[in-house]
Amino acid sequence: MQKNSNEVMVELIKVRKFYPPDVKALKDVSLSVAKGELLFLTGLSGAGKTTLLRLLYRVERPDRGLVEIDGMDVTRLSGKKLQILRRRIGIVYQDFKLLPKQSVARNIALPMEITGRKKSFIRKRTRDLLERLGLKDKINAKAGDLSRGEQQRVAVARSLCNNPDLILADEPTGNLDAENSDRVMELFNEHRDQGATILIATHDSRIYGLGRHRVVVLANGHIIGAGIKRNPAPDNGDCHQ
Amino acid sequence: MNFLLTILSQTGRNLLQTWGSQLLNLITISLSVLIFSFFLLTYTNMIQAGKQLGDDLRLIAYLDEEPSPALQKEYKRKILKFDAVKKIAFVSRKEAFERFKQELGTDRDVLADMPEDFLPPSIEVYPRRSLHSLTRIKAFSDYLLTMPGVLKVQYGRQWIERFYSFVRLMRIVVILSGSLLILTSTFMIARTIRLTLLSRQRELELLRLCGASSAYIRAPYFLEGALQGLLGAALGLAALYVLYTWITLQFSGSALFSFFPFTFFPLPVIAIIVALSTLFCAGGSFSSTRKILQV
Ligand SMILES: Nc1ncnc2c1ncn2[C@@H]1O[C@H](COP(=O)(O)OP(=O)(O)OP(=O)(O)O)[C@@H](O)[C@H]1O
Ligand SMILES: [Mg+2]
Repeated sequence: MQKNSNEVMVELIKVRKFYPPDVKALKDVSLSVAKGELLFLTGLSGAGKTTLLRLLYRVERPDRGLVEIDGMDVTRLSGKKLQILRRRIGIVYQDFKLLPKQSVARNIALPMEITGRKKSFIRKRTRDLLERLGLKDKINAKAGDLSRGEQQRVAVARSLCNNPDLILADEPTGNLDAENSDRVMELFNEHRDQGATILIATHDSRIYGLGRHRVVVLANGHIIGAGIKRNPAPDNGDCHQ
Repeated sequence: MNFLLTILSQTGRNLLQTWGSQLLNLITISLSVLIFSFFLLTYTNMIQAGKQLGDDLRLIAYLDEEPSPALQKEYKRKILKFDAVKKIAFVSRKEAFERFKQELGTDRDVLADMPEDFLPPSIEVYPRRSLHSLTRIKAFSDYLLTMPGVLKVQYGRQWIERFYSFVRLMRIVVILSGSLLILTSTFMIARTIRLTLLSRQRELELLRLCGASSAYIRAPYFLEGALQGLLGAALGLAALYVLYTWITLQFSGSALFSFFPFTFFPLPVIAIIVALSTLFCAGGSFSSTRKILQV
């Protein structure tokens, strides 16, 4: 983290996003995330976490303000450049966005096929990730037949398969038990060690309570607090600065 | 290479998942190709037959009396003034009688009591190819009538007129059925692909979010359309060939076919039909993906 701390991966400056008629999802949010940083976004349900992530992967555009990834103004990107940027981002969607009728293997292969990986690479990477997430025997199961927790882990595997530069994870452990949450966090930390920048939106104090990283708290579309967690925390009240 | 493989396997998956409507499409396209190419085949063969008909075409000018050699020369000069012709032949009363007798064959007895000169003498004019349009032949016939001593000019008018109006009708039928073929196949393909796309909104959204290029997203559907067009045309033409073989076998002994040889399409025409069908089906899928994939 120290090494790259002067290089910014994600930059939001005075970003505003309102939904009609009067939902103020984000009000003038500014946030800067360094390359290689792991950052947690937390806050009550409806605070605007998902909205913030959606601005980053450009399915929403801000009403006002600047959204930059790796120095590129995301709002203005389109066509080829947007495609190339998206290939560098791994996303765990809050609703997973798995293809329910397709096999687990095929779901995970999808981003790798887009980036033109070799079949042999895809097979190996899929197997490795599933093994790490305790889903080895589900590789050929239909994604729609899995339990919520299993689906969530498949979504995590898919987000990581291309070794992305930026990982945006929306509630990646919401349906997982402690053991599986640890597996997911272990994978995320490995990718971070390899240089990935990671934003995790979560209510799960178990995962942001451990280790050394920033935690940003959103409430009603504002950032009401940010701090660096160092010690295990018993509850959320602790992370305000 | 990987791109191609992925596109191919995606196309395969699409086809497998929607094989029901794919089959329906294939049948529709084959049928339209069959109908269109049937009309086209009939049309081209009729044009061919028309050419043969033209070869045998002659105008017969009946004269009031046997022309003397000097008069024959004069007639020739007048006819050539109108247009160059392939051949001019004078048929005397006697020659006409002999010919008639020949044509009657075994029934020639009926002529036994007839005088040998009961048939009028005539001039037979064989026009050149350039004359074969019907209006030209009419004009020629009118011209021949103006010559002194000509009683009547014959060229099997009714038969030829009917033939040519039928050819004209066939041309319209070919054009209509061709347009219909294009409309149905592009529409069917576009519709199926639009339905597939609608049922795959999630997958398409995901592909876009993962940074897939529009070529990557569209190529499988494009390929699907092209494949439908190709296979449909091939099947339709194969069916036509079977039909063609059957018809020629049925009529193999008949006189009709010895006059007008009924032939199948030459290879270039087959290639053009297949290529056009492929093109239009691919085009149909291309247009429907453009509408849906805008983001
Ligand atoms: N497309 C939309 N149209 C209208 N309102 C929306 C839309 N998307 C989000 N909102 C509203 O914006 C606010 C922020 O939503 P968001 O999904 O960002 O919350 P969140 O922090 O992710 O909540 P949760 O923890 O429950 O996932 C909410 O009040 C939500 O109802
Ligand atoms: Mg959310």
